[in-house]
Amino acid sequence: MNLNLDAKKGMTYDAIVVGSGISGGWAAKELTQKGLKVLMLERGPDLKHVTDYTTAMLNPWEFPHRGKIELWAAEEYWANARSGGKPGEDQRHMFTKDVDVPYIEKRPYDWIRGYHLGGRSLMWGRQSYRLNERDFTANLEDGHGTDWPIRYKDLAPWYSYVEKFAGISGNKDGLAVLPDGEFVPPMQMNSVELLAKSGIEKNFKGRHLVIGRPAIISVAQKVHTDGGRASCQFRNLCVRGCPFGAYFSTQSSTLPAAVKTGNLTVITDKIAYQVIYDDQKNKATGVRVIDQNTKQTQDYHAKIIFLNASTLNTAWLMMQSTSKRFPNGLGNDSDQLGRNLMDHHLGAGASGEYEGLQDMYYYGRRGNGIYIPRFANWGDDKRKDFVRGFGYQGRGARRDWVAGASQDGFGPEFKDNLTKPGRWEFSIGGFGETLPDPNNRMRLSDKKDKWGLPIIEFDAAWGENSVGMRKAMMNDAAEMLEASGLKNIKTRNDQDKNPGIGIHEMGSARMGRDPKTSVLNSWNQVWGAKNVFVTDGAAMVSSSCVNPSLTYMALTARAAAHAVGELKRMNL
Amino acid sequence: MNRREAILQVALTMGSALSAPSMASIIEGYQPHRVRKSPPSRFALRPDQQVLLDEITEVIMPATSTPGAKDAKVAPTVELILKDCYKPAQQEHFLKGLDAVDAESKKAYAKPFVELSTEQKTAILKQFEQLSKTEAKQHPKRQEKLAKDPETTLGAFAPAGTDQTEAKMVDAETGVVVKDAEKNAPLTPFFKLVKELTILSYFSSEIGCTQALAYVQIPGRYEGVVKLKEGQKAWAT
Repeated sequence: MNLNLDAKKGMTYDAIVVGSGISGGWAAKELTQKGLKVLMLERGPDLKHVTDYTTAMLNPWEFPHRGKIELWAAEEYWANARSGGKPGEDQRHMFTKDVDVPYIEKRPYDWIRGYHLGGRSLMWGRQSYRLNERDFTANLEDGHGTDWPIRYKDLAPWYSYVEKFAGISGNKDGLAVLPDGEFVPPMQMNSVELLAKSGIEKNFKGRHLVIGRPAIISVAQKVHTDGGRASCQFRNLCVRGCPFGAYFSTQSSTLPAAVKTGNLTVITDKIAYQVIYDDQKNKATGVRVIDQNTKQTQDYHAKIIFLNASTLNTAWLMMQSTSKRFPNGLGNDSDQLGRNLMDHHLGAGASGEYEGLQDMYYYGRRGNGIYIPRFANWGDDKRKDFVRGFGYQGRGARRDWVAGASQDGFGPEFKDNLTKPGRWEFSIGGFGETLPDPNNRMRLSDKKDKWGLPIIEFDAAWGENSVGMRKAMMNDAAEMLEASGLKNIKTRNDQDKNPGIGIHEMGSARMGRDPKTSVLNSWNQVWGAKNVFVTDGAAMVSSSCVNPSLTYMALTARAAAHAVGELKRMNL
Repeated sequence: MNRREAILQVALTMGSALSAPSMASIIEGYQPHRVRKSPPSRFALRPDQQVLLDEITEVIMPATSTPGAKDAKVAPTVELILKDCYKPAQQEHFLKGLDAVDAESKKAYAKPFVELSTEQKTAILKQFEQLSKTEAKQHPKRQEKLAKDPETTLGAFAPAGTDQTEAKMVDAETGVVVKDAEKNAPLTPFFKLVKELTILSYFSSEIGCTQALAYVQIPGRYEGVVKLKEGQKAWAT
């Protein structure tokens, strides 16, 4: 695709945005709306809103393998398959074939990618939470990692700004641990979720169960309908792409807004692999790309550059951007580039059954669940075994026919029983904060991919702090379910989950107060290359335990405003 | 003590600090990422086996007040899934199971399965259900058990710089990294598999979704608390 609308032709722009996912889309929207001529570079192919969501309207019986994974798909999407993702015929076209773009695991790492226009904004989990005040001081408090150069109050107005446009559904719960935002109406809980809510809140001081906050417009507001988006239809098939534009993605939200300005050029199939740095001017002058099909290289030039290639690819691109000034990679005076990789560890929690409420059911399919905000090491709840904390995501539902495979019997009665709503089930699983550790890292290996570019080598682990935390994630879940009156409680603490499983890669080019220990300053500018901004997950200084994408949006909008201001003040 | 035993020993003294996949990796040593290139599947049922499978699925999911497996064309779906989603060893195991059903029918009633009465068919499949439970007990999924043991510590919690996790052999059916998928992955007993695939193929069929269950393609709204109506069917999805 080459949307060369009203933008000037040629290879020179005001700004280049590398990447078209959640943060890249925001960078393009903000910069074009402020009048800059912007080039957005995407390494993968075009993926058109609605028309390329090829499976979005198909019924279950229209998939020949009914959700079972063909052997070839499990092989070619091995990281997806290994991490529990399902490269089935309904959704695999949204994911990158792992064999096409290999990586090396010094220690195991599940890297789930979406190399196409829109990136992982098309298949993300959509849960959108603000970091809280203490998330920004956590490193300072316990000494793990370095201090954030910003505080909650610096980002709060930008959270509000992006929430209004993206459309976050949620309830104002009034909890300091999970700050409220600008919400569209919350989704409802079902009967067993309400039961668990009252059981938990009655029995455990300081613990709360709230409805999840997804970037889904439960009820579209004018800002959304103006952009061509409609309210959620409650099909819960988000991962196939939403033909109604009800969840936030680049395609549904930021891209149309940026295109509307007439200032955006989008070029797909170009892998950006170097930022061109001018040793005289002490700033970047452009970006070097290779066409993924023709392998032709090309330079594009701009006054400012936003790197939004996704956490690991942003670091990868910076590591390859060597110059006289930066022999070890752009902005890497601190040797922190590629280090401090973080994710959220998950797979520990509990599930249970409830025998009552047999006369209650629900209508519709909700692409959202419930959320139990962090309570461990918060307020009076002090833990000996670990620092930081975890939140839970979960949901309740009535058991359906899927349970039939593990029940005894077959025949008429067995079949008819499976056509009735079964027992209520309720399950929660923790998302645990990981600590910034310089030994958790990625490097450029000496092996090359099919474009002759260095393959990433992962060398990261969850770390010791997660061991005690995971036990608490499991045990606390069980005690809350038990107190809520659930029975047959089963606990889990899966041991086979590798870093990356959360698909919340963070760190690798952290912000900071000191160029000696960080890669970016408080405005996400690269130390020593102030016209280069990094506003994807790479910038994160700590991981919190909440889903991070909303924070990338807020950081991006904030940095874009600063970039345009600095450009006008002739500081870039 | 060979290398494998030595490592298992170490793992045990560490309180099973390593998950089964990473243990398998240590034992195997370094391998670059690679995947088994499965040759195109040659799996196909003979016409008589297709008829037999059709009958078996109908006994598992029979026509009641709603159509059964035959009407929902379950057997062809089961065959396709077996062909594309399972490895040759599992396919062969399934075929042996099919043949055994017929052999058992002939032994008990001197007739092939398809010619038996519903009661006789049910009796035969009950035997196979029992058999599949016994078979499952003989081959506990050791790996699965280890990996899910809540008391073991993190699989990926390995000291920096060790090469223990470099080996990658991905089992295509489970997605789990294994040392030798063929040897380690226990085969699913015949009846367990045919039942699982029959249930899946039936309830995901158009008949299953729209007649046996209730299917709304575009609900348009979500209501969390709804009184269940008398005789209301479960939602298909």
